[in-house]
Amino acid sequence: MKLEGTYRFNTAQEKVWEVLTNPKHLEKAIPGCEKLEEIEPGKYDATLKIGIAAIKGTYKGMAEVADPQPPDKYRLVVEGGGSPGFVKGEALIELSYQDQRTIVSYQGEGQVGGLIAGVGQRLISGIAKMMLGQFFKQIGKELKSL
Amino acid sequence: MKPCAFEYFDPQSVEEVFKLLDKLGDDAKILAGGQSLLPMINFRLARPEVLIDINKLDELDYIKEENGYICIGALTRERAIEDSELIKSKIPILSEAVKYIAFLPIRNKGTLGGSIAHADPSAELCLMMIALEAQIKIESSQDARWVDAEDFFLTYLTTVIEPHELITEIRMPIPAAETIHSFQSFSRRHGDFAIVSVAVVLEINDDGICEGAKIALGSVNPTPLRVAEAEDMLIGKKLDAKLIEAVANETAEASDPDPDLHSSADYKREMARNFTKKGLMQVLKRFEENA
Amino acid sequence: MSKEKGQSKWVGKSYPAKEILRYVRGRGEYIDDVKLPNMLHAADLRSPYAHARIKNIDADKALKLKGVKGVLLGHEIPDISNSFPAAGVSPKLKFYSMAVDKVRYMGEPVATVIAKNRYVAEDALDLIHVEYEPLPAVVDQEKALEEDAPILHEELGTNLINHRVLHWGDVDKVFREADVTVEDRFVFHSYAGTPIENFGVIAKFDPGEDFLTLWANFVGPFSLYFLLAMALRMRENKIRFIVPRDIGGSFGIKCGIFVDIVRIALVAKKYGRAVKWIQDRREHMVGGGRHSGRISYVKMAATKDGIITGIDEKWYEDVGAYMRAPEPACMYRPSGNYVGGYSFKDLRVDANAVALNKLESAPYRGYGCHLVYFNHERILDMLARKLDMDPVEIRMKNLINKDQFPYETPTGATYDSGDYKACLRKAVELFEYEKMRKMQKQAKKDGRLIGIGVAAGVDPSVSNMAYITVAYTPEERAEASYLPKSGGGETAFVKVDPSGTITVSMGTCQSGQSHESTIAQVVADEFGVSPAEVTVIDQMDTATHPFCVSTGSYSSRFASVATSAAALAARKVKEKMVKIAAHVLEASPEDIMAADGKFFVKGSPDISLSMKRVAGTAHWDPGSLPSGMEVGLSTQETFNFETSKTITADDKVNSSNTYGFMVDIAAVEVDPNTGKVDLLKYTTVHDVGTVLNPKFLEGQIYGAITQSIGGVFYEDYAYDENGQMVAASFADYLCPTAKEAPKKLDIGHVETPSPLTVLGSKGGAESSNETCPAALANAVEDALLPLDVTINELPLTPNKIWQLIQEAKEQK
Repeated sequence: MKLEGTYRFNTAQEKVWEVLTNPKHLEKAIPGCEKLEEIEPGKYDATLKIGIAAIKGTYKGMAEVADPQPPDKYRLVVEGGGSPGFVKGEALIELSYQDQRTIVSYQGEGQVGGLIAGVGQRLISGIAKMMLGQFFKQIGKELKSL
Repeated sequence: MKPCAFEYFDPQSVEEVFKLLDKLGDDAKILAGGQSLLPMINFRLARPEVLIDINKLDELDYIKEENGYICIGALTRERAIEDSELIKSKIPILSEAVKYIAFLPIRNKGTLGGSIAHADPSAELCLMMIALEAQIKIESSQDARWVDAEDFFLTYLTTVIEPHELITEIRMPIPAAETIHSFQSFSRRHGDFAIVSVAVVLEINDDGICEGAKIALGSVNPTPLRVAEAEDMLIGKKLDAKLIEAVANETAEASDPDPDLHSSADYKREMARNFTKKGLMQVLKRFEENA
Repeated sequence: MSKEKGQSKWVGKSYPAKEILRYVRGRGEYIDDVKLPNMLHAADLRSPYAHARIKNIDADKALKLKGVKGVLLGHEIPDISNSFPAAGVSPKLKFYSMAVDKVRYMGEPVATVIAKNRYVAEDALDLIHVEYEPLPAVVDQEKALEEDAPILHEELGTNLINHRVLHWGDVDKVFREADVTVEDRFVFHSYAGTPIENFGVIAKFDPGEDFLTLWANFVGPFSLYFLLAMALRMRENKIRFIVPRDIGGSFGIKCGIFVDIVRIALVAKKYGRAVKWIQDRREHMVGGGRHSGRISYVKMAATKDGIITGIDEKWYEDVGAYMRAPEPACMYRPSGNYVGGYSFKDLRVDANAVALNKLESAPYRGYGCHLVYFNHERILDMLARKLDMDPVEIRMKNLINKDQFPYETPTGATYDSGDYKACLRKAVELFEYEKMRKMQKQAKKDGRLIGIGVAAGVDPSVSNMAYITVAYTPEERAEASYLPKSGGGETAFVKVDPSGTITVSMGTCQSGQSHESTIAQVVADEFGVSPAEVTVIDQMDTATHPFCVSTGSYSSRFASVATSAAALAARKVKEKMVKIAAHVLEASPEDIMAADGKFFVKGSPDISLSMKRVAGTAHWDPGSLPSGMEVGLSTQETFNFETSKTITADDKVNSSNTYGFMVDIAAVEVDPNTGKVDLLKYTTVHDVGTVLNPKFLEGQIYGAITQSIGGVFYEDYAYDENGQMVAASFADYLCPTAKEAPKKLDIGHVETPSPLTVLGSKGGAESSNETCPAALANAVEDALLPLDVTINELPLTPNKIWQLIQEAKEQK
């Protein structure tokens, strides 16, 4: 499924970049992420406990801050596999500064596979969108805490 | 598909349920009709460690009229709502909507409390809660609170219920005498989850002026959607084809549906428009027939 | 050979199916009812990826779980089993019962666990850790043949795993000389049969005796039994294969179960235990079977008067990740009847089987015919429109005449009998065609979108095994290593006991088609008794039960060849009894009649012997039998067709043996607001030769049309662009319910008995599965003509139709 959208933050671009690429903050923003442990700079082991209401699954995988071009753009990759299947999200994230606001636009793809893809079609698209919303909401919170 | 192992309790009273929830709530799921929960646990998509079977709690199974409300116990079966003469006469749209829930054998087991706790955006009963401005009673060993339907549903499959809480009752204000309703549901097959469903509940006075309007849609939003902008367009106006067209368009604009296997977002939005129009036309027809 | 009409007391009547009683009373005996002592239960771990390399599988934690007995992993498989071959596919393409180093479709098994029960087995699956290296997936036939497409089978270097260009006549000449041509691209999606009961296998291996006993709800053909023995590297007489008495539906899909049988047998063998595997619905959807999908480019050449002169078509077949025998029959099974009921002689088919990251395809009711007839009936309608001809008129012009039978098709079939124009006339009459067209015109004025669609097709039954060799090129067939194939026989065993009671044994593995009652009718007629007195056992046990290589229920063969075998066997036993009666009554055998359970002298009914008496003589007093006569009253007969010959060097083959015919006419109404289609009227006329039981046939026809309505409007074996199967439950794979099924069908019959079968019967079970999709698509397009919408893709979901209407509006 296509993931694309734009968010605006009343904060300097460098600060937004920091929150969007530092594992300390990403850990809190990625939905269900318990901990990010560095494998190498920019690549992290991740355990994701993703779900909605009663439908929960544990996915072991990784998160990557790839091709960073601070403070303008990078690729965020999050993926994990577990009993219900696998999840993968990859997006090109671009930052720019306009009218005293940082504009973050993202464009990418989300993939869900295995059991959940087979039986959860009706709700997957909406839930993915919702999780993206959660991600950026948390990013906003992280910015406030700086 | 077989579920993961779980601990099973079948409490005999509401107090027992509260005790269990206080102790085990974080790991527990309530089992009522099981029509939503059991497929999820059989697929192992849900893996509760504890199942609290509340099917013995007859005290939560009732339909009664009280102080201008229809009060329904959380464990009341959908079939009972379908068969209730009281509901048929006092809240006819609820009577109609319930018939669209899946199939009869499922309605024999499914409960009102279970359906709204599950909070599927396509569920007819969730739509009815919003359309009828219901209130939901949520209780625990410590507390009993009433939550308005519009605050109850948070997002997909998520409500404000806390792990140690239980829904015990739902009440709906009995609609005024001049209320005319229409319920529209569009699905691929009989009994399927709706592609879009529309509840229209209008209060129209003898002169044909709309004094109250509730337009709610299911399946186009993470929760059932009241379309205030569309409702406002009707207040103080006389219902006619042109106004209906405009209101239907506004409703389509307001809905932001997600695509799924069976429908694109554009198609859903167009069906929202279609069936809002159909619903309003039916209300107009019913008004003209009664006049 | 066929009986004259009016002679039979039971065949041709709607004798009620007695087996239904045990089904509705819950006393059916299905695979899940088979329980063995110390039986273990299997569960499979299945790949969530559509295409990935398996880097590592760690099952240590799973093996330590209490209640788990063992596990079988993919890397063990090539050492203990052989790859499954398929006709016309390079042996470099390895196909095992489990993924070895790579997964090629979402749902492919990667490990099998056996445990004390299925719950624990599934708990163990959670503990198996698989490291995958995901690869890009490809799910479109045309994309899979592009330069940079991901390749499923690296050893082949291409996704084109079978390719034949079949050419009969001179198509290029025909197109050069044509007055008019029409062409279009069609997309037919994939759907399946969704039987209520999924696959089930029990494998019991006795290491001491090196003997394997199998139970499975398999419906044949038993050629696949020999295939699974080969895969298991075992001799057939070391494998006993038992099919339970009752199977909960198949519709062809259960032909494909042999792959799962091998996997479960291998794990049973590894641990020397009895292992049971019952496939659940989700496993069936991702790992069971589905009919292939097809992208076609079709061209039709014709005279200006609407006479078809030739068809030139190219197919890209979605056969999934592997070729599961008898595939690529989805393309070749109907080769003999490719031309349908039409008299044109020039045809070219460029058939391309393309490997995709999806579940492999399998036989499904209609097998290959619905795809061919969709192409031909749709393009014919387009031709009719171009020439401003009525669709009935153009078909009438092109249908083979009744005086041309037996008819040799250009592709090698011999149509045994038929009166196609009579079927079309009858369908038109039943449908009230003129009246409906008038109604359509009037409705159009009211702004309603009503359409009428016609489709006609030849219904092939009893496959001649030779058809599978169409998959080989003539050069491959000329090689020394190639062994020719032919035949489509069936075996029946009939015996009469000392007290005169009759038992019939068949191996046609019934799955709800009322085989027992039908055979009872047939045999009752032969002996002159009532069907209630005939016991029919329709089960399989390869050790004790008679069967031949082609035994089974597929390609609508039961009504045609199985009843012939039973009738033949019964006739032989009865003739022996007639001789015995004649001997005892001191009459001539020609003067002996059998009726009402007695053998009596023609004209003197008092001079008679009861069945019991005659049987008693044969069993208890064989010394009194006529000299030279064998003791006993039983016989095993295999009925085969002489018309089942092998393929010629120019790809001509009589791919089936008996050929029926059907004409379907549908009237639909399209709601332009929602895109939903309402079925207003449906008429179908069938020629299945001698009708054995009108009620059973009616049931088959209702089923065929209901399934097709499902296939055209509701069902879609959908895979997303990443190869995820996204309709793996009945919430999303939409089968028609009672509400969507047609309320009423107008059914008519024309009977042209087959000269080839004992009773003149032909198959009729697939019938309208083959023509209904085309009829419905033709009807929908007819309804949408005022909106300039062309229908060339299925399924016709409301969203799709609405989309087409919007696009047509925008183009204006």
